[in-house]
Amino acid sequence: MKPSLLKYLLLLFFATALASCQMVKPYQRVYLNDYEMRPGYSGARGFEQYVFTIREGSSGGGGAKTSGGCGCN
Amino acid sequence: MKRRYLVLGLITTAFTSFGQINKKNYTKKDLYHTDVEVVFSYYNQNNDHSAVTGGIGTEDLQVYVTHLSLDNIKDSVRTVHFDLGFDVISSASTDNIDFVLSSASKVDARIYTSLGYNRLMQDKQTTWGINSSFSIESDYLSWGQSFSISHLSEDQTREVSAALQMYFDDLRWGRYQFDGIRELVYPVELRTTKWFDNYRRNSYNLALGLYQTINRRMALGIYPGLTYQSGLLSTPFHRVYFADNSKQVERLPDSRLKIPIGIQLNTFIGTCWVLRTHYRYYWDDFGISGHTLNVETPVKISRVITLTPFVRLYNQQGSDFFKPYAEHVISQEFFTSDYDLSKFRSTATGLGFRYAPYSHKGRNTLKALDLRFTHYERSDGMIANMLTLVVNYDKEQKSQ
Repeated sequence: MKPSLLKYLLLLFFATALASCQMVKPYQRVYLNDYEMRPGYSGARGFEQYVFTIREGSSGGGGAKTSGGCGCN
Repeated sequence: MKRRYLVLGLITTAFTSFGQINKKNYTKKDLYHTDVEVVFSYYNQNNDHSAVTGGIGTEDLQVYVTHLSLDNIKDSVRTVHFDLGFDVISSASTDNIDFVLSSASKVDARIYTSLGYNRLMQDKQTTWGINSSFSIESDYLSWGQSFSISHLSEDQTREVSAALQMYFDDLRWGRYQFDGIRELVYPVELRTTKWFDNYRRNSYNLALGLYQTINRRMALGIYPGLTYQSGLLSTPFHRVYFADNSKQVERLPDSRLKIPIGIQLNTFIGTCWVLRTHYRYYWDDFGISGHTLNVETPVKISRVITLTPFVRLYNQQGSDFFKPYAEHVISQEFFTSDYDLSKFRSTATGLGFRYAPYSHKGRNTLKALDLRFTHYERSDGMIANMLTLVVNYDKEQKSQ
């Protein structure tokens, strides 16, 4: 699959997803409020995200912080 | 006659009856909670591509992490956050900077702390926060400041957030030596030259977020960011060997622009299965670009136990400034042999275990116990393992 086609398909997917948003009432949020549905990397996931920012060139985008601290070992 | 007695009885009752006396024998006491999280982590890695020795030599490293995090929830409006961490770092590569001076650095320590305050505004939809942080190692000191704001839509299906984080770092060695000498430390044989005038590194991060509920079981998060760094971005004790057998200290540009965007889609499938997917694209002006895909599938095997197998795939295009040992040419303006900036693929796999008992209305409640193991492999040969234990409990207190 060509990268450009993949890009358009992803765009289409997210546009469809956002356009099909439903109203969710407070008593219907039992699944959304589950710990595993939380966005980001909290708790035990946090430390490994911090390690990845040191051992790899990429950082940010919903992961751990993007700078501060040495990480030069 | 009967009517007379009845009237008399009513009058007597009216005069003798009384309401409850307001004794005020209670005092209003507010309850507040402290969410306590204690983290213990162990990390080890090994490879033979240390940047300290120019892309060859041991990278053997062990890190022991102890971290305490407190969220003091005063009421539904105010939250105070406090962090304190202590890492013990045992690094074989750092010991190769200087066999005399840095022998103490073979075991280093990192101490870090932060203090933050969040407040929900009167509209009950907007939260702003401020956070200050401090981190110190023998060769590093970092001050941080961040401001954040988030807004939740009226129907609670959409949250937009923005955070500005600033870090002001000082890369001079000698923080744990109290004789007042603080200077950049170069590899022992390269100390006759003063390679850098600047010892400061400043970082400015803008992190944006859109979190959208799609339906009762699905939520989508989009996280674009922008980071600008300036100052000394080279690590002064990294060696670079050239093709002509000469040797210098790593040299990188004095500014760096990073642009990441992350997309997270979490879906609750059936009654006991969650699918967490996160994709990130990253680009910076060092020439690095990367694709990250993280997939986790937490399975609730009972109402209190969750098992989470996960896999993370990462593919990185290397920096323009990277070359392996003895492949740089002296005419280059910038050069490094740090394999963290090279072209590689990595895979992280692991398993998480979470025990979250039902909450009890007591003064101290164990909320959750998390154990997570990660095995990490990089295509340049690096192998690392991480083990993390998190104990999370809630402490309920009454204000006096």
